[in-house]
Amino acid sequence: MFDNVDFVGGWKLYFSLSAILLLAGIIAIALGGLNFGIDFQGGAQFTVANAERQLSDDQVRAALPEDIAGESVVTTLGENGYEVRTPVVSSQEEQSQIRDSLSQAVGGEVSVTTVSPAFGEQLRNQALQAVVAALIIILAFISFRFEFSFALAAMAALVHDILMTIGFYAIVGREVSLVTVVAVLTVLGYSIYDTIIIFDRIRENAPTVGYNRRRFDEMINRSIRQVVRRSIYTSIFTLIPITALLIFGEATLSDFAFALLVGIAAGTYSSIFIASPVLSLYKAWRAGKLQAARST
Amino acid sequence: MGSRRNNLIVLALVVVLLGVAAYFIFIDEPVTRSTQLGLDLQGGVSAQLEGSQTGGGKVTREEMVQAADLIRQRIDRLGVAEPDVRVQSENQIVVQIPGVKNPDEVIRIIGSTAQLGFYQVLAAGPQPNVPQDEIEQTRQDITETLEDDEAYDKAKTKILFEETPSIQGRGTDVNGYVVSKDPDLTGDSLKQNGANVEFDQTTGKRIVSLELTAEGGRQMGELTQRMLNDSLSSGEPAQLAIALDQDIQSAPTVQDTLGQSISISNDGLPNGLPEDEARQLETVLNTGALPVNMQVISQTTVGPTLGLTSLKSGLLASLVGFGLVLLLLFVIYRALGVVADLALLIYAFLLWGLIVIIPITVTLPGIAGIVLSIGVAADANVVIFERIKEEIRRGKTPRSAIQAGYDKGFRAILDGNVTTLITAFILFALSSGSVRGFAVLLAIGVVLSMFTAIVITRALLGLLSDRGIHLSPALMGVSKSSISATQEARVR
Repeated sequence: MFDNVDFVGGWKLYFSLSAILLLAGIIAIALGGLNFGIDFQGGAQFTVANAERQLSDDQVRAALPEDIAGESVVTTLGENGYEVRTPVVSSQEEQSQIRDSLSQAVGGEVSVTTVSPAFGEQLRNQALQAVVAALIIILAFISFRFEFSFALAAMAALVHDILMTIGFYAIVGREVSLVTVVAVLTVLGYSIYDTIIIFDRIRENAPTVGYNRRRFDEMINRSIRQVVRRSIYTSIFTLIPITALLIFGEATLSDFAFALLVGIAAGTYSSIFIASPVLSLYKAWRAGKLQAARST
Repeated sequence: MGSRRNNLIVLALVVVLLGVAAYFIFIDEPVTRSTQLGLDLQGGVSAQLEGSQTGGGKVTREEMVQAADLIRQRIDRLGVAEPDVRVQSENQIVVQIPGVKNPDEVIRIIGSTAQLGFYQVLAAGPQPNVPQDEIEQTRQDITETLEDDEAYDKAKTKILFEETPSIQGRGTDVNGYVVSKDPDLTGDSLKQNGANVEFDQTTGKRIVSLELTAEGGRQMGELTQRMLNDSLSSGEPAQLAIALDQDIQSAPTVQDTLGQSISISNDGLPNGLPEDEARQLETVLNTGALPVNMQVISQTTVGPTLGLTSLKSGLLASLVGFGLVLLLLFVIYRALGVVADLALLIYAFLLWGLIVIIPITVTLPGIAGIVLSIGVAADANVVIFERIKEEIRRGKTPRSAIQAGYDKGFRAILDGNVTTLITAFILFALSSGSVRGFAVLLAIGVVLSMFTAIVITRALLGLLSDRGIHLSPALMGVSKSSISATQEARVR
């Protein structure tokens, strides 16, 4: 498989492909595309199931108490469900008031989730801690098992995957919640797994003495060819159940599945087309520097 | 190693495990009850509360445990089934109650500190018939007026409010009272189980009667005597404010000194106190005040319909995903794939068994964890099978290729699963609630999938190749041309 592809030599093409997608994502983030859920900023979310009347989003909003209607976001869920996100509601009374007016307007069963802003902040900090902790532990793990150049290349791939996932989230405007962070962490685990499998082969095939750029790059290409089939199958076997979640799962599950779908696809791509070329380029750059130092 | 007898022993063991799993899933309890579903799937109320001291001091672990106990007692008194109340981290309590009909009432009851206080009213600022949307403004107006009153002293007094539906006309009566900073008498003076919902003998209206201890009664006598004296000299009526936390429940005018028996009433309403309000008062007063202030920081109420919808969609997604993985394994690996499919089915059943036996509460993120672990389990087989095919292309017999595939593939599987386990542990350590469910299921799934791929698949394959069933390369999904191509490449 891929017998004629030059995984290392074509790095300019692969990098630009990623760069275009990443840039699109960054622009979307800059334009405020990230849609934070109540988990992270506090607020209330009312979910209507089995609604008896079908109203437009605007009609539903009009049914809400006046003082919060303006700041509320209404989305339709499936055929007979609605989701209403409001800013922080201060009291139990206000919450029941909103719930009652919703069930009067559309009928059906109303479920409620509220998060206080302070707790939202706590969740956000926990989430950030988790991601940073994961990155540090993974970096330590690779530095321990491989050499620094491998760790550097793997980190480049990881950062690529995280940015890609967040960027796509911003582009499609899905809700960023606690579950999204869980998905990003899971993507980290998967992406590094893929990269390690390839690096393992590279290390196995690497000559013990002497560095020659042409030989080294050729060896990387050979190593990738040996494991690429496995990489792709693994992704497919993971992506199939995730796609099922995306299609059949309701709101939370489908958001989760979307993050995993993007992240794992990006992870498979990056371990082949980002991590390996970065490894090669770094090796070449360092060899060049050593030579320059020797000749002076 | 890998002999027929060992393989048979392994398979017999697997059959026993399957039997144990089946017993716990289907026979020990009916299947609908054996698997514990989270509140997001079966409906219910969950709330996270944060404890704090009034002065901002540190909350101790003992106080939180004590508060959790009191909250549990309050929920029990509501007659609600199986509440789960746990202290989490330093100052948080998580309350989970399946299937509740009146979530608002539950939240109010578990969250209120319920510190009962009796106060002498020093000055009052009543404002009747306030429309709903002007209450906030009215409270501010009353506060400003009362702060100019000579009875008000910022260091010694505070202003509390009472809001009751108006007797005549629409809206709410908002009353502000200037009272001393600390209650003249607290809930400590209440007898054990001294609060009761009753009906007033003369008016027939619903009240909550309060029975005080002997000492409490004596102090109440002194307080009301002092109030009557003050009233005589000032000419203003003596009013006793009864407050729960910072809300005045009732402020009756005192005609005579009171003793051990007093009552909270609402004469404005035709039937006295509303029934649910009276019952809430009775419950929180009898369980006593919480040692710390509790604030609801997050709350989730899931209706049974929404829960069922989530459960159905989660199950459908898992089954479709699982079915497609089984199909694809067969298409790519043929005979090997059938064996892997069998192993995956065993894996899924054992995972279910573990979920029931441990038991793990299955939540929505938990289902995501299960679905993901199906992918992980399939991958373990893929890694080994790819290695087996590689060996066959190099010209090995199926039997020795299987042997080599397992020997060389094991390390890669271990490596990969360790990274997934690291992620699961970080998630578990740094998160709470339903995310933990995901982490636990992912970790268990990963370990179990290694067991299935390395022990069960291997025993099945070993038996097949021993039994003289000829596994041709084509049966394993390796084409003739790729074998010769690889061998030519090697010769070259």
